Amino acid sequence: MAEIKVKNLHKEFGVGDDRVVALENVNLDIEGHVFVSIVGPSGCGKSTLLNILSGIETASSGTVDITQDSHDANPGYVFQAARLLPWRSVMENLMFVQKERDDEARARCQRYLDMVQLGDKGDKFPGELSGGMQQRVGIARAFSIEPDVLFMDEPFSHLDAITARSLRRELHEMWKQTKKTVLFVTHDVGEAVELSNRILVFAKGGKLEDDITVDLPFPRDPSDDAVAVAKAQVLRKFEELDLLAT
Amino acid sequence: MRRAHARRTATTIREVSDIVVTTDERPEGRQRSAEEERLLAQRRRDTRNKWLWRIAGYVVVLLIWEYGFQAIMELIAGRSLNDALLPGPIRILQTIPDIWEDGEMLSNFGATLTRIGIGFGVSFIAGALIGLFTQNKWLDSFFRDLVVVSLTSPGLVWALTGLIIWGFKPLGWIFAIFMTTFALVSVNISEGVRALPKDLLDMAKAFGVSSIDRQRHIVIPHLAPYIFTAVRFGFSIAWKVTVLTEVFSSNKGIGFQMRVTSQVFQLDEFFTWVLSFFVFALFLEKVVLQRAEDRYFRWRQEVAT
Ligand SMILES: Nc1ncnc2c1ncn2[C@@H]1O[C@H](COP(=O)(O)OP(=O)(O)O)[C@@H](O)[C@H]1O
Ligand SMILES: [Mg+2]
Repeated sequence: MAEIKVKNLHKEFGVGDDRVVALENVNLDIEGHVFVSIVGPSGCGKSTLLNILSGIETASSGTVDITQDSHDANPGYVFQAARLLPWRSVMENLMFVQKERDDEARARCQRYLDMVQLGDKGDKFPGELSGGMQQRVGIARAFSIEPDVLFMDEPFSHLDAITARSLRRELHEMWKQTKKTVLFVTHDVGEAVELSNRILVFAKGGKLEDDITVDLPFPRDPSDDAVAVAKAQVLRKFEELDLLAT
Repeated sequence: MRRAHARRTATTIREVSDIVVTTDERPEGRQRSAEEERLLAQRRRDTRNKWLWRIAGYVVVLLIWEYGFQAIMELIAGRSLNDALLPGPIRILQTIPDIWEDGEMLSNFGATLTRIGIGFGVSFIAGALIGLFTQNKWLDSFFRDLVVVSLTSPGLVWALTGLIIWGFKPLGWIFAIFMTTFALVSVNISEGVRALPKDLLDMAKAFGVSSIDRQRHIVIPHLAPYIFTAVRFGFSIAWKVTVLTEVFSSNKGIGFQMRVTSQVFQLDEFFTWVLSFFVFALFLEKVVLQRAEDRYFRWRQEVAT
């Protein structure tokens, strides 16, 4: 069972007039097979948090601790843009992030490509695929290393509403089957309510303002009354905080 | 163009499920429309005409060279030009078998090519390293003006400098090639490094991909077009400078032959050397480099369709 512990995390960029506080004294404890959404206005430090957790950036101060089942496991990461190597085929892109590039890994990659319905596109270059397909390759890549922890940074925000919706469903299915701890950044409250057990609300200045538990059964239909009510509640909170922030 | 197209057609056949239908490809059970036929015919006509005009260009220039100059001379001066002073294309072509049979052609080409290979090889490695070094801001300052000097000064300066210092020794031409080409390489590479795809490198880092694999699968493929540009331009300059140094300070090579033949007024042979120089440069550029590039950048062509 994976666990993510964040203590007194602080991150700032720049000096003088350029100084930006991206995260201020953030404390977090996430454990087990949960889907946690992080919502908040743009510029409130959501990406910075994931980047620190995944080791792309270092914290200014504070500690981050990720415990996973297997000792040397690596978290998976799905970015806002797919971030595929344009000069490598889809399959090669998945193989690129494997610890061992053996037949077993190849079979596993193929399985996750199948899961995102791109099983026959392994030989294609990313540029030959549509934006939605590329994003699915990015998702398959993150799942293909079978991580205990998965970071996702607004993975559907560049996609059209219909593609985003079907990918959301796919993602939910995959999360259910694979029992992962997911940290999912979004600025779409509806998306957060539809997918998560828990919603962390960040406000401008990188402060963690609220931690909401969403206790509704899956699958959640956005048009369902209970889901709509939950969404309205979060939105209200969101608006209050937004007003506070300005 | 043709080859790229053939490849595209092949891909289309492999992924039959796709909606992509290229105009040259006739899906089963469908006749080309009249408009398609017309467009295709026009395209073919265009290609044919382009080639005809191109060939016509060559023919006209050669005809004027062979007959036109003589006619003009006779008109103006009332006598024909000495054949040795302005040999026509036919006479030039006739010298080729002689030079070839002597083994002169191959041995002189060999000498020049070896020089270019060694000189540009050294220059490329040093230039690439300097290009990588300039990522460091101190080293960037260190090399900045040196690079500008190399980029702007004429090759003649370095050919003569090399001759004065080293005479006929190899260091003379290596120096000249190096001074004129390393900056081209370093400028291109450092530009490439400046534009490294941070998003991809960050992605690799997040996935715990090793540094070696990051270099191999991200940095090198990203730098490849910059490297090709550097090789292409660097090579064309290395050619000229090498021949130039041979004119001054050598007893073998194309440049040397140009000097000898022009000194004894054997202009037919002189032009043969010039001509073979062109042909070879063209061959390198259009066939060797272009092929290598097409192969390496296959992913771009696939994507372009
Ligand atoms: N590398 C960086 N250099 C300077 N400022 C940065 C950098 N990365 C993020 N920031 C700043 O930190 C703040 C939080 O950024 P980010 O985490 O990307 O926000 P979000 O993802 O919530 O939109 C923003 O004000 C942004 O401008
Ligand atoms: Mg962001």
